[in-house]
Amino acid sequence: MGHQINLQLAAEISFLPVAVQWAETAAKVFGLGREDALKICLATEEIFSYLSSRVCPGEVLDMRCVNGIFYVRVEFRFPVSVLNMGALNVAAAVACDSEESLSEMGLALATRTVDRLNISAERKNYICLSIEKDKEYPYVAATSSLPVSVRGNLAVTAPDAEGIKSYIARVARTPDERLPSFFRYPGKVADMVAGGEYQALTAVDTRGECAGGLIFHFRTPQVVEMFGPQVFVPEREDETAAMLFEVCLARTARTKAIGILNLTGVPNSLKTQFEFLGSLTNKVQGDRKVVHPCHYRLLHEDPGAVVFTDAALTDYLQREYSRIFLARELREVTDQGETRTGASIFATEFHREGSRAILRPLWPGVDFDANVQRHLRFLQEEGIDNIFFTIDLGISWQASLMTVLMNNDFHPALILPFAGQSDLLYFQYD
Amino acid sequence: MIEPDLNILVPAYVREFEPYIPSRPDPELQKLYGCPRLYRLNNNENPLGPPPGAQEVIRNFPPPRGAVYPSGDSYYLRHEIASRFNMDPDQILVGNGANEVIAFMIKAFCEPGNNIITADKTFAVYEWVATFSGIEARIIPLRDERFDEQGMLRAIDANTKVIFVCNPNNPTGTYWSRDTLKYFLDAVAGRQIVVVDEAYFEFVEAEDYPDGMKLIDAYPNLVVFRTFSKMYGIAGLRIGYLAGNLEVVNMIRRTCVVYSVNCVAQEAALACLRDETDHIGRTRKMVRESREFLCTEMAALKLPVIAGEGNYLIVKLPGSDTLAYRKLMHEGVMIRPMTGFRYPNHIRVTLAGREAMEAFVAAMKKVLA
Repeated sequence: MGHQINLQLAAEISFLPVAVQWAETAAKVFGLGREDALKICLATEEIFSYLSSRVCPGEVLDMRCVNGIFYVRVEFRFPVSVLNMGALNVAAAVACDSEESLSEMGLALATRTVDRLNISAERKNYICLSIEKDKEYPYVAATSSLPVSVRGNLAVTAPDAEGIKSYIARVARTPDERLPSFFRYPGKVADMVAGGEYQALTAVDTRGECAGGLIFHFRTPQVVEMFGPQVFVPEREDETAAMLFEVCLARTARTKAIGILNLTGVPNSLKTQFEFLGSLTNKVQGDRKVVHPCHYRLLHEDPGAVVFTDAALTDYLQREYSRIFLARELREVTDQGETRTGASIFATEFHREGSRAILRPLWPGVDFDANVQRHLRFLQEEGIDNIFFTIDLGISWQASLMTVLMNNDFHPALILPFAGQSDLLYFQYD
Repeated sequence: MIEPDLNILVPAYVREFEPYIPSRPDPELQKLYGCPRLYRLNNNENPLGPPPGAQEVIRNFPPPRGAVYPSGDSYYLRHEIASRFNMDPDQILVGNGANEVIAFMIKAFCEPGNNIITADKTFAVYEWVATFSGIEARIIPLRDERFDEQGMLRAIDANTKVIFVCNPNNPTGTYWSRDTLKYFLDAVAGRQIVVVDEAYFEFVEAEDYPDGMKLIDAYPNLVVFRTFSKMYGIAGLRIGYLAGNLEVVNMIRRTCVVYSVNCVAQEAALACLRDETDHIGRTRKMVRESREFLCTEMAALKLPVIAGEGNYLIVKLPGSDTLAYRKLMHEGVMIRPMTGFRYPNHIRVTLAGREAMEAFVAAMKKVLA
């Protein structure tokens, strides 16, 4: 329990100093620098005030500060029954048909001072709102590298911190825009592995010279995300990549994972072992586009699934499922005039550094179209260049959003098998 | 309504274990994959079915006996098995398939803090049962596709209680010879229980393959598993057994759930043992011919195979085994992708009748085209 500190208090504005002081102290204890601790404090202040005034005033709020080793996370947990539901949308205060100033936005303001903000629905009808701030690490600048020379047999190992730093520093010297930014920070990756959320593998010769490596983590309990393998010795690329990937498979094949995902490109020699799902495109530094090819492979037999769709996407889904040989029973969801009430909630996963936001429906409502427009306007005003929306094809009501999204300039980009209750359909905003 | 706090009630090693999800029933799979016919080449079943005597037992089971409990400890079957191996009936324990017998073993000998030893690329249930029982499973890599006796010996420590050896190994078909098994048992020297799982015993034709049952007298720490699911073709009835030293089995019996083996299974198993129609000979002939046929066909497709003993072989593919599984399912052929066995890009194929083998080859040609 040494990696988390809990606080329970009423969501009353008079307790605001307690929450803020607690967050600052906990963040510092967990190693966040003064400036970053202040930033997560400011976000905590915004969120606590917002929850106390707009969402669940007076109700019990469970707060938790978690030491993720390379980041500090503050979580706010409250029961769904007390919600002013619509207020949980990050764009709740945005009027989609007005140009008025985006002030007094609570959650929206909080996103500006942290690296990630997320909202998720949990068991027992609880909502968890979380903010994360990464620790500061020195980065390795791009520079020319001396060629690596390895001799004799290679062996795959789980490197220690120095081994990880050496491997990541080597990758950082020849930047690849498809890789996540943590590949520029060797110390950060060492901490990510030490924290247990990520695993590293390197292929080394008998002298310890590193021929390549890969990083992987559980993106969800059922999907392993793999970065790499990166190989530093071109003449031994096939052998090195195969060894690293085989060990990665051995470590994940008997876990909860159903599949392995790679969004950063796989070496040519491994491409026959993956299936190409499609691509996501990220804008970087203005309008330059970086394409992220999405490769995937299942670890087990496909158990099959029922997926729900709007008629507008039936052909697309049939075509895609047929192309990737996944057995799915498609069920069309149609509006039969049934009554819908209340405001919908979308969770927004913010990644400030990559100028990226991923929207995800949490709760159905009557205002899908207006809510999508509010979020788009908010994200654009926040300068977010890359906007995605994911639909869980295993949850019937989410299919109603498909047409709404396409009418608002989203297009279906790819299907990620088993990434939700069933498969996730990624929409990209054009 | 107050929901139970499963984080408190359930041990971490159970919460974190991923339950095995068996494949759906054939009609559901056929509907999903759009195949009017499905050749089941994934579970090493015997397509000849049970011997004729066992078929008679199944066919003639009187429905009113469905209301009567079976023999709680498979009395007649234990006596029959014991008489065939010149043992005391109490040296035999019958379970609801060999999987249940594995659970008996772990429960009898292990507690948290202990470990079991087995191989990385073998029948997964030893590792699973240990893991969800809070017991460490030490996984020793195969060496040249076979159990590595030296590696396993090196992994033993004071907390090691049971060592599981699958002989012949599923899925590689490799086996320990009589000499290797005796060397290993001598080296263990009674400090741990050594389980030799002989689920595919009846398929093996190699002369130096050991009969574990004959070694029990000399090695009281040896426990042998056998099953009626493979050669005898009554997998659907779920029945298997273990044999060992009287005192060892007496300990295991304490963790054994009585009445778990149904009447039909017990009587069909008896009929299997009493078969005089050369069921084993017919099955071996079919398996031998299918192995030769598939080895030739896979060689023509330039696909390496690992073919040893047992009614299965492994084919190495140029790409993903799990994708091949899906493509073959669309062609009405179900095989076992091997990534879960830590053999990525390999598939295991049951050696069945000629028609099924030809269907598999035709589907492979289509999939690889």
